[in-house]
Amino acid sequence: MRDTNREIQELLVDYADALRDGCIPTYLSSLTREEAQRIASSREFSDAAEIVRILNSVGFADKAVTPNVSLFTSRVDAKITSRLKKAKALSKDKYAVRLPKT
Amino acid sequence: MNKRLRNALKGLTDPDIERRRRAMEPFERATFDDFKKVLYHHLGNETECEDLLEDVYADIWEKPARLRNVTSEKELLRTVYLYYIRRRLREVYREMNRHLHFSQKDLKNLVAPDLGILEMMSQSELRHILRRMLNRLKARERRAIELWMQGFSSRAIANEFRTTVGAVKMLEFRTILKLRQMFRNYCGGG
Repeated sequence: MRDTNREIQELLVDYADALRDGCIPTYLSSLTREEAQRIASSREFSDAAEIVRILNSVGFADKAVTPNVSLFTSRVDAKITSRLKKAKALSKDKYAVRLPKT
Repeated sequence: MNKRLRNALKGLTDPDIERRRRAMEPFERATFDDFKKVLYHHLGNETECEDLLEDVYADIWEKPARLRNVTSEKELLRTVYLYYIRRRLREVYREMNRHLHFSQKDLKNLVAPDLGILEMMSQSELRHILRRMLNRLKARERRAIELWMQGFSSRAIANEFRTTVGAVKMLEFRTILKLRQMFRNYCGGG
């Protein structure tokens, strides 16, 4: 059965595991109201969370590789194109509204 | 700041849309790794990092005004985090907040906090400091952190130490606080 009354040290270690494993949303939704209050009011948690993020970054970020940056840049370019199209469509719509009906 | 990045930044803040678009590729190549590492602090998942970065770069292309007076790489990282990355990070979690017990403010602080002094340091600097700090820990504390960094779960660490999961979590928590104090002393009480 899931532990629903975790102390602050358990909450922090579970946060660290979730961050490392890339499942923060699951961690957030696992929190009960009391646990969430405990985290929100704990200065120790926020201090420790900063170190956890650094440990996570030093330990794992370098291993996170992007095989092809060019592929990523083309993804961004496609995103920019789609935003341009949206902006154009939006301005056309506005123009169409302003045209008097014949 | 290196010349390539400086030129890319110059192109990025140009009023002409197409020039800005052409400047994006060198800018992305020069900054992608750094931005991704910052994001990895908060997401811990490379696919999510890339998806979010895609939006961040498009936002930068659309509204680059904040980058106009940036003069150093550190300043660039801080500005991009504060004005572009943090907003997107918060959006990732805003949708699910309906089902959570956090207030919006507490959630924001947890998933997209302000950058501390430590998080502004370069990876090599952090790695160097961390190595020194780990050397100052007790053998058991150091081993627990090292195993965690190798990807061990608390239960696996408990098996290794022949103790309980609760004891391991307490050990990790105390060790992390100890590391926090050491980092604070290193940064001169920051």
